Amino acid sequence: MKHWFIGAISALALGSAAQAADVMKMAVTTSFNNSGLADVLLPEIAADLDIDVQLLVVGTGQAIKLGEAGDVDAILVHSRSAEEAFVEGGFGSHRTEIMYNDFVFIGPKEDPAGIATSDAAAGALTAIAETEANFVSRGDDSGTHKKELSLWTEAGLDPATFGDWYNAVGAGMGAALNTASGMPAYVMSDRASWLNFGNKGELALLYAGDPVLFNQYAYLPVNPKLHDHVKNDLALRLEEWLVSDRAKSLINDYKINGETLFVFNAKPAE
Amino acid sequence: MTQLFPMQAIAIESRRRGQRLVGPIDLTLGGQGATVVIGPNGAGKTTLLQLLHGTARLSAGQINWACTTEEARHHQGFVFQRPVMLRRTVLENLIYPLRLRGVPKDKARKAAREWAARVGLEPLLGRAAPVLSGGEQQKLALARALICKPKLLFLDEPCAALDGRATREIEMILQTAKADGTRLILSTHDLGQARRLADDVLFLVGGRIHEAGRADTFFNQPETEEAQAFLRGDIVE
Repeated sequence: MKHWFIGAISALALGSAAQAADVMKMAVTTSFNNSGLADVLLPEIAADLDIDVQLLVVGTGQAIKLGEAGDVDAILVHSRSAEEAFVEGGFGSHRTEIMYNDFVFIGPKEDPAGIATSDAAAGALTAIAETEANFVSRGDDSGTHKKELSLWTEAGLDPATFGDWYNAVGAGMGAALNTASGMPAYVMSDRASWLNFGNKGELALLYAGDPVLFNQYAYLPVNPKLHDHVKNDLALRLEEWLVSDRAKSLINDYKINGETLFVFNAKPAE
Repeated sequence: MTQLFPMQAIAIESRRRGQRLVGPIDLTLGGQGATVVIGPNGAGKTTLLQLLHGTARLSAGQINWACTTEEARHHQGFVFQRPVMLRRTVLENLIYPLRLRGVPKDKARKAAREWAARVGLEPLLGRAAPVLSGGEQQKLALARALICKPKLLFLDEPCAALDGRATREIEMILQTAKADGTRLILSTHDLGQARRLADDVLFLVGGRIHEAGRADTFFNQPETEEAQAFLRGDIVE
């Protein structure tokens, strides 16, 4: 194959823009976008519904703010408490669970805290805290960060009291994994980001499987009563598609390196 | 200071449902000038841009930047053919990416006003962005990308739906951005625009690079039969 050289040798992506009759906007999390599943679903949605879904890729907190402001027609996020507050506040008309993936604990291959044999996520975190092994936290108020904090709480531990071994980087999943790879350190990641991460270095997936690590994604149309300009009809058509058997097979069949990433668990539309 | 270039794409491919859309492509990009990606419809221009930017997942191969991928993404922007406008004012659309990056409100507002003036949108600062004309929306999308001072800006057919005057204004903004050091990679089906903007050309057919090099060489002495036919205006498949 020929190698081409071009040019003298010396971030906010907003949306996609395929041609379709109807256009709607949906805010999604970076972890969902990083998984690559959107690349599979969006062309099928355009083909089946003639809807061009433009994605605004942000963290869960920002996605919810975009929904609250009526900047988007729907959101697809993974932070149950924030989602319920979104609906209770009248910003979302309802919440529909679509699919889940899971969080995993990544760490140095030699596993200095010995978390690989833990019987629960809380046990793994306790082992890390007791050995004061380096740990990288997203620290960015994302859904993943919120989940990590809730797991520390469930383990009876408070990150505010931790020493220098606990590193909150205030950055996205890729940056957090890079930092962990460089140290090396333990880090909690969604499985898709880990599989797509290209700088694994001395890191390995050490612990997964506790049901508390399941990461539920939900779809929330923005409430048209609050923002009459939102395209609620398109948002509802998309929802009907997202809970269909068609979406089920596309989501369940999506794999990276032969590994299934998401499990469809939406209830069919009534 | 973060260095993005040279960027090396090694055997990159995009496949969907077993069908290869782009690749395999081996490409090294230097850090200066404007590279224009041209080719017939369906050649894979948009997919190639999205692969390089990282918004489309590689089915095979890898892309190496001079820095980490995360740093490289942080210093890039992408402007789409049909820009996505937040349902807010022009001013708020410009402030938004800066606030996402943690820029204080006052500083973000000042920068937004400066960029609105630069692209001729100052009189429309209080106007709702979704009601702007196509040309105004594209100028706003460009300003919203450039306000973050990207080292690399991808543009996918940025003037496809615009009239002559709007196209000229957009090209002037791009020339200024290039002169200020922003590396540009844009796709276009408009050969005139390619001639006006390109320092280098990537000519794509069927998802593969058929010819690449300096723009003046490509336009004056194309090597491949496909490139010669494309420049003549013949249909190339």
